[in-house]
Order: sequence, then structure tokens, then C-alpha cells
Amino acid sequence: MKAPLSGTATPEARPVRVRAGRLERHLGLVAALGGFGMIVLTYAPMLWLGVMSVSADPLGGLPGPFTLEWYDRLFTDRRWVGPLVSSLGCGVVVGLACAASGLLVARALPHLRARGPLLLAFLAPLFIPGVLLGAGLFLYLRVFLGLRLGWWSVFLAHFAWAYPFALLALLVTTTRFDTRLNDAAADLGAGPWRRFADIEFPLIMPGVVSAALFGFLLSFNELARTILLRGTATTLPLFEWAQATSHSSNVPLIFALATLVLLVSLLLIGVSFWLLFGRAEER
Amino acid sequence: MLRTTLFLFIALWAVFVVVPVALLVLWSFLEMKDYSFSTSLSLDAYAAVFDSGRYEVTLRTLRIAGTVTAIELGLALPFALWLAKGVRSPLLKAMVLALLTVPFFISLASRTIVWRSVLSRSGLVNTALMHLGIIDQPLDWLLFSEFSVHLGLLAPSFPTMVLPVFLSISLIDDELIEAARDLGASPVKVLGDVILPLALPGIVAGIIFTFVPLLGETVVPQLLGGGRVAMLGASITSLLQVLNYPVAAALAALVLGILAALFLALRLIGGGSIAAVFEGMKR
Repeated sequence: MKAPLSGTATPEARPVRVRAGRLERHLGLVAALGGFGMIVLTYAPMLWLGVMSVSADPLGGLPGPFTLEWYDRLFTDRRWVGPLVSSLGCGVVVGLACAASGLLVARALPHLRARGPLLLAFLAPLFIPGVLLGAGLFLYLRVFLGLRLGWWSVFLAHFAWAYPFALLALLVTTTRFDTRLNDAAADLGAGPWRRFADIEFPLIMPGVVSAALFGFLLSFNELARTILLRGTATTLPLFEWAQATSHSSNVPLIFALATLVLLVSLLLIGVSFWLLFGRAEER
Repeated sequence: MLRTTLFLFIALWAVFVVVPVALLVLWSFLEMKDYSFSTSLSLDAYAAVFDSGRYEVTLRTLRIAGTVTAIELGLALPFALWLAKGVRSPLLKAMVLALLTVPFFISLASRTIVWRSVLSRSGLVNTALMHLGIIDQPLDWLLFSEFSVHLGLLAPSFPTMVLPVFLSISLIDDELIEAARDLGASPVKVLGDVILPLALPGIVAGIIFTFVPLLGETVVPQLLGGGRVAMLGASITSLLQVLNYPVAAALAALVLGILAALFLALRLIGGGSIAAVFEGMKR
């Protein structure tokens, strides 16, 4: 146990950390306030969206009088149902593709020699602006190859955008997986498929499910790339975008619709976070 | 079999994600003929970028993205330091990290459109200020101005800055900070001589992850700029829609050039090893 040289030396001072001075604690408070301010700035609009969606005049600025009119209108004005179904379908396909191909890469990548450059290539869509990937794919597929754009090109753009997140979620679990467990199972006579199904998959399952959920959510909410690669396809974010930018009287409806999508998204994110990190803590 | 599938997937990723983005640079040097590219090289597209008002758009985009990135860095650095070294409770730390990760999976358009009901002439802020008697007339500059674009970009760009900075600071060994303090270094000296140099790769990564996507941002400038605050992302999209492919590619190549320059900077200060992600994940 080493005694701290600076600050007020008390007999029961903690062994590792030197006690922070008063000035440092004040600075820490200021630092925390700045960050929490940004977190409030992130979540307050979401809360406000929900509040205004049950207000009579969502664009009026002040909440209330409260009404469920806009949610009611969603049941009569059903133009959003088609785009919703398409978006759900696209999201499911992207999610499944992300989970399957993510599993393929995440199991092998930590053991490959070229893992650094490969990981960089797979994570590239994280830091390439969406409009660049959209423009690149559009010029390549539509202008250079002369293909007709449609759901397949939307899928491609969504997949490229969602894949880095899915891969990272899977890498969280595959890098934690102890490969000696596989060796032990092999010693006990288990074949490759048994080893995967009974040992490896149950342990990395949270990563697989999270990858699928992340893929679904990112596809479901994607807009910037879809605008360029849609062909004649329409997704729910595209529908909302068209309504929101047209200054039409349908904007209040968008508040209600966006609130519903937000609630479902938050629920799914909660599930995947719990799978990825919450359960790991219990073990 | 697995290996073949893996290599096939890597090849597909290269052909449909890496190549289309890389080819943007080539398209920008080609001439247009009958709505497709000809094989003759030209610098016309780049001349067009500087000729017309697009030059102004580029400068404005750089200015807005730079301002927002600087604000994020100013807030994120102290916050990440506090979160990585000041927070003792693992639960609080995990909760803050979760709150910073959730927004990635939520529709940016829904989070952005709600600002309209806060900032418009009849919105929350104007109503409140008029009610309190601070102003007589509603403020015009709150919405559809550079102010609203900056405000709308702040919250969505915070996590991309704070997460890499947090990761790099939390990888700094406590013992190093301890040793510096034991040797009598003032907090300012510890920060300047120990923490900041070791956190530099994370800081540069944060700048890349924040600044570059801001250059291509389309949703916020369009919803909160109301056509008055044109930025590069929207420029590229509208150029593609009017079939002016080479100039769109030139603007995109410009953004890619900035991205490459920042990456080079990251390499030069020695933080380029992305394989470190694997080490970070095992913790």
C-alpha cells in the first residue's frame, strides 16, 4: 500500500487512486454537465415528439389539448401501410443477411492474418458519408452497369450501411469465445457440427440476435441512401420524408407514425443491449 | 466450404461496396456523353465545382461541419475523461454508454422534424419568450437558418466523437497517471503530458467519425435549413437527379479526399492500427 504524496494524506486513503482535489472534482462536475446536456438534447426531442403527437396542434409549439385524433387518423388514412410492410420486409431480409454473413466473418476474422485491412474495409461504411455510398452505388449500378434499380439495390445499400454494426456486435461475442472449449469438445469426440451447435452457437447467440436486430433497425430507419437507390420502391422513411418536406397538412400524422416507430425501435434496441451486455454480466 | 464462402463474401463486399466508392474518383475525371460516361478524360467537373455557386456550398459545408466538430470535441473531451477516469460505478458507466449508442438505431428524420414545432414562429421557444415579455415579435432566425442546422446537428454528432475518445482514454493505464501525480505533476501537466498524447489517436478518430459524416449530411440541412442552408450532401443528391454525374462525382471525390487526408493524419500520429479494436473488445 503506497501512501499518496499529494492531497490530504489520511490513513485509510485508497491504495490506487490519489484523492481528487476539490478543483478537479468541480471540473469533473462541469465535464459531466456538458455531456449530460448533449444526452438531454438527444432524448428531449424524442420525448417531445411523443408529447406533440397526442396534442391537437403538433406544430403549434405548445402541447395540449391532448387528443388521440392523429393516431385515430392513422387508422382511416392508410397510405402508410404499404410502405410499412415493404420496410418491414426489407428490414427482416437485411437483418437475416447481416446475422448470417456477420457470423461467417466474425468467426474467422480474429484468426486471419489480414484482419486489420479487412476490418477496415468492412467498417468503412461507418465513416463514409451515406450520400457518398449512395452516389457511388447509383453511378456504378445505374449509369456504369446500366441496371434497373429497385428493391435489390435498396437492399444492397441498407446491407452495406448495417453490416459494420452487425459485425461489431458479433465480434463482441466471438472475440470473447474461448476456442479451447472447441478443442475440449473435439477431445471428447464431438464433430465440427456438434461443436458449433452445442458449444459455440449458444455462447455467441446474443451477438447473432443483436446483429439481426441492428440490421433490421438500421434498414428500417435508413433514408439518405434509399433516396438515391430506390428505383420505384418506397420505404416508410421515404414516405415520411415526402410528407414532411411537402409542408402538407399530413405532418401531424407523421408525428404519430414516427412516435410508434420510435417506441418499437427503442424496445428492440433494449432487447439487443440486454442480450449483448446485460446477460454477460450475470454469468 | 466455409472458407470458400468467406472469400466469396469478401469478394462481393469489394465489388459492391469498396469499388463503387473508389470509382467515384474515376467518374469525376470523365466527360458525359448521352447520359453516360465517355472514355475521354477532363477536368471540367472540377472547374464546374469552382465556377458556380457550388464553391460557396462547399465552403459553407466545411464551415458548418468544422464548427459542429469543434463544439463536439470541446464537450466530448472533458466528458470522456470524466467518464473513463472519474466514474467509479460500472452501472453508471454502462448506462451512459448505452444512452450514447441507442441514437445510432433511431430515425434521424423523426428526431429532427420535431425541432420544427420547437423553433418555428409559433413554436415553443417563441411562444415562451413572448409570454415572458422578453420579445414582442417572434424571432425569425430560429428555424430555417444556419442556427437551426447547427442545433439540429449537435446531438446526432455527439456519440461519434465521444465514443472513440472515451475508448482511447479508458485504455490509458491508471498507473501511468498515478506515477505522474506521485512525481508531483500538476493536474494540467498530467493532462497535457500524459493523457492527451496517449488519447490522440482516439481524438483524431473521433474527428474523422464526426467531421466526415457531417460533410455528407442530408437530412438535417433539408428539414431545418428549409432550402436556405444548402450543404454538400443535398447538392450531390440533386446533381444526380438532374443527371449531372461528373460534377456530383467531383463533389463526392472532394469529400473522399478530405477523408483520406484525415486518415493519413491518423496514421502519422501512430493510431492507425484498427486491429486494436480486437484488443479493446476483449476487455
